Amino acid sequence: MTQLDDGVPALGRLPSGIAGLDDILRGGFLEGGVYIIQGAPGAGKTVLANEICFRHAAAGGRAGYVTLLAEMHTRLLQHLRPMAFFDESVIPDSLYYVSAFHTLEGDGLKGLIDVLRREIKGQRANLLVVDGLVAAQESAPSDRDFKKFIHELQAHASASGCTVLLLTSGALRTISPEHTMVDGVLELEDQLFEFRTERSLLIRKFRGSGFLRGRHSFRITDDGVKFFPRVEALFASTSRPQVLSDAKIAVGIPGIDKMLLGGLPAATTTGLIGASGIGKTTIGLHFLSASSAAEPGLMFGFFETPERLCVKAKHQDLHVTAAVERGDVEMLWQPQRENVLDELAHRLLEAVRRRKVKRLFIDGLGGFLESAISPQRVSRFFSCLTNELRALGVTTIFTMEVPEITGPVIRVPATGLSPLLENLIFLRFVERGSSLHRLVSVHKVRDSGHDPSLREFFITDRGVHVGEMFSGVEGVTTGVAREPASAAASPQPPTTPDV
Amino acid sequence: MQTILVVDDELGAIEVVATALEDEGYRVLTAANGRHGLEKLAEGQVDLAVIDFMMPLMDGAALGRAMKEDPALRNIPIIMMSAVGESLVRERFSGYTAFLRKPFRISALIDTVRRVLG
Repeated sequence: MTQLDDGVPALGRLPSGIAGLDDILRGGFLEGGVYIIQGAPGAGKTVLANEICFRHAAAGGRAGYVTLLAEMHTRLLQHLRPMAFFDESVIPDSLYYVSAFHTLEGDGLKGLIDVLRREIKGQRANLLVVDGLVAAQESAPSDRDFKKFIHELQAHASASGCTVLLLTSGALRTISPEHTMVDGVLELEDQLFEFRTERSLLIRKFRGSGFLRGRHSFRITDDGVKFFPRVEALFASTSRPQVLSDAKIAVGIPGIDKMLLGGLPAATTTGLIGASGIGKTTIGLHFLSASSAAEPGLMFGFFETPERLCVKAKHQDLHVTAAVERGDVEMLWQPQRENVLDELAHRLLEAVRRRKVKRLFIDGLGGFLESAISPQRVSRFFSCLTNELRALGVTTIFTMEVPEITGPVIRVPATGLSPLLENLIFLRFVERGSSLHRLVSVHKVRDSGHDPSLREFFITDRGVHVGEMFSGVEGVTTGVAREPASAAASPQPPTTPDV
Repeated sequence: MQTILVVDDELGAIEVVATALEDEGYRVLTAANGRHGLEKLAEGQVDLAVIDFMMPLMDGAALGRAMKEDPALRNIPIIMMSAVGESLVRERFSGYTAFLRKPFRISALIDTVRRVLG
């Protein structure tokens, strides 16, 4: 327990031990506090509370789990047994399960408070879960009696330093007397969005501490409960200040690096925008193959498996497999399923931090967009995510696929994103005569000059090569190049690169 | 008629065990915790105690120890029931005659009771 300036001891914390939840709670529950965890049946209250108990016991604490429902502990433990956090060896010395259903039925709230008090004292518990608060509420003769019960429980919890979690399936969004009295209210929901569901947590109240406001997604798997603090809330400020530098990071394609006057500015974010099949991933593989121990690389992809990408790189004489084997590059593939937007961001940032990644290739933006249940979040989400990546010193390339193969308009696949990207590189197909040509142009580069010309590029068995300016034609940006009337008699084809 | 005391804090468990034993012709007493169980034991002749391990106020191990310390109760055989493994139970109390790991089949309960009561 730390001391505040006025000499009053600050309240200690009881970490939940649950991945992500302690970030949301800014360190965990307060010792001796009473908290309501509410949610409809199936929202995840029981699994969450049990995992908190097991994690608490594993960390050396003592916990009691008291049910007020007719549900059998035997059944409960059977359901928990397959989960990774379940450890029978902590029962009963560090984690104790009892039912107070009989007591509540026979002796009412007075008997119940007596049982809870004795369990806290007898088991020397510093964490107590009471599952089925609604049963206590229903057995209370009046609201006044129920408030008195909560008040007494708070007094015992505070005096013994035992944190109490009250689980209830009481209706959400109703303000009951207990809500006004307890130290915090955590609301769990499992919402249906057309065909898919997503679990979320909302902290309604948390006395005596800051917390991350708003909804945060979570998942329940055999590994237990994992929360994904909303990126906009967690990284409203970056985890560290950004260090500005004039350094350049080579893309690894001499022609493009020349257009960028040496490469991409370090710790910036680049949008690589173009149609399907134009070579975005191939350019990214060049970027990754330039990784080293000093500049570790990460491929965060949604579409092609690592194996397929390694084969693709090999066909273009790019040594990505060797870089992976050296540990200079990691490939993380995110199969396109019902991903949670914030889960993806946390997985990405964990991989970046773990290896101190400096070169990040994300293929592509669409994988994130498809995971976003709320499109209105996307711009703020990416703003905070890219800010954090910059603060971590990561130079990032995002691929952004546009629907049009050719045409006069290039639509960025989500509104509000372009301003977040310091650098934009456009790749486009242009029809000339009866064939498609690939063109690259640098649209903007942060605080740096660049070659703004349109250049043709070629994908060969030795990778990407950039040719000369695509000159001698007009209407290139419409997608269909044509000879200028004055030069129609003597067309100038693009120069084939020296491969 | 032999009398069996069933001590368990879970109402569902008590109902299932008591009904099964009554169907077999036993007289059944019930209690919701160890302290309540001791009161029932003091009331009269009990031939067998079927006790849950984890209970509020007084757990199964404490009840078992109290029975072994009381000359009037120490010879009553005990069947200990628990959702956790026997090794964990035995660390706290080993004076029981048989152990049933929850969940168990009624047939396993009846077989164990018959074996213990001879």
